[in-house]
Amino acid sequence: MYSDQPLLPDALKQAHAAAWQTIARPGDHFTGAERVAFLQAARDSMDCDLCLERKTSLSPTAVAGEHTHDTALSSTVVDVIHRLRSDPGRLTRRWFDSVIRHISPAAYVEIVSVVCSGVIIDTLHNALGNGIPALPPSQSGTPSPRPNPNTVDGGAWVPMLAAERDMADTGLPRVPNIARSLGLVPAALDLFFATFRPHYALRDLPLSITQSQAEFVAARVSALNECFY
Amino acid sequence: MLLRASGEREGRDYDERSVTDPTIDPGVADGAGLRALTDAAIRGEWLELADLRSRSARTLGAQQTVDALVVASAFNGITRVADATGIPLDENTLTTTTAMRERTGIQRFDYLEKSARYDSGI
Repeated sequence: MYSDQPLLPDALKQAHAAAWQTIARPGDHFTGAERVAFLQAARDSMDCDLCLERKTSLSPTAVAGEHTHDTALSSTVVDVIHRLRSDPGRLTRRWFDSVIRHISPAAYVEIVSVVCSGVIIDTLHNALGNGIPALPPSQSGTPSPRPNPNTVDGGAWVPMLAAERDMADTGLPRVPNIARSLGLVPAALDLFFATFRPHYALRDLPLSITQSQAEFVAARVSALNECFY
Repeated sequence: MLLRASGEREGRDYDERSVTDPTIDPGVADGAGLRALTDAAIRGEWLELADLRSRSARTLGAQQTVDALVVASAFNGITRVADATGIPLDENTLTTTTAMRERTGIQRFDYLEKSARYDSGI
């Protein structure tokens, strides 16, 4: 990855390559082939007629139909991935409740982690003019659930990582809610933040732009994606 | 939104409304260029982004242009984690940003308000 991008930090390149390999391996609830198919489904969503029609409607629930995809994933899983990739700002609690009638919250968390890690990697490739990278070849093996008993109801839709609420000098808790969000599945939490971490820091940003410039970019992305957090 | 906290540390007063209002200068160095890069990257406007990268490399700098896109791509992922898990604001943020959320218009992204707008038909 990024062989022609000398301006990218080596740690970031290594993290993305490692994420690709991690995704290709069996997870807690899905095989390596299924996890790689999540990445493909996320890419398919960008040309999905249903997603495009929903995106331009006043409410995504106003348009019914089938997603365009070329995977063996269930319709529920494909809907989660397409909505997450193409229209994340209009996900709602009632939609989430309808999803977990078909898949467990832990399976949902695993999907979110894989897809969002892939979004970071695909976005950066496209943004640098590289085109999206080839998907990793999946590795064989069976999923092995390793649930985290150390979770709490923290007011999110899913159980969150239990953590002390003491404050850091950034004005945020030492472990902010975003870092607890995928805690139901430790491997999912690890995958996402291993991918994310080389991109950003609350303090001592390891990049050439200032912290304020980075915060403006971050806030602008949040606004474009209609993210409340 | 950490733009305000960052400004406080630097002794600067950045205008948070610039995040949702493109007519307002955020006050950060080359804010307009950063906004254009970010918008094109998140909206998937790749042809326009190619031009913007070249322009930004001359004004902001090649390394800074790449690094801005590094941050944008990260937040394109992490905002989805937040939206998909419905995490609440951290307590201190919830209590200290009420006016800012109204001022900038991001209160309308609150999960309950989204449900009221988008949940009919489920």
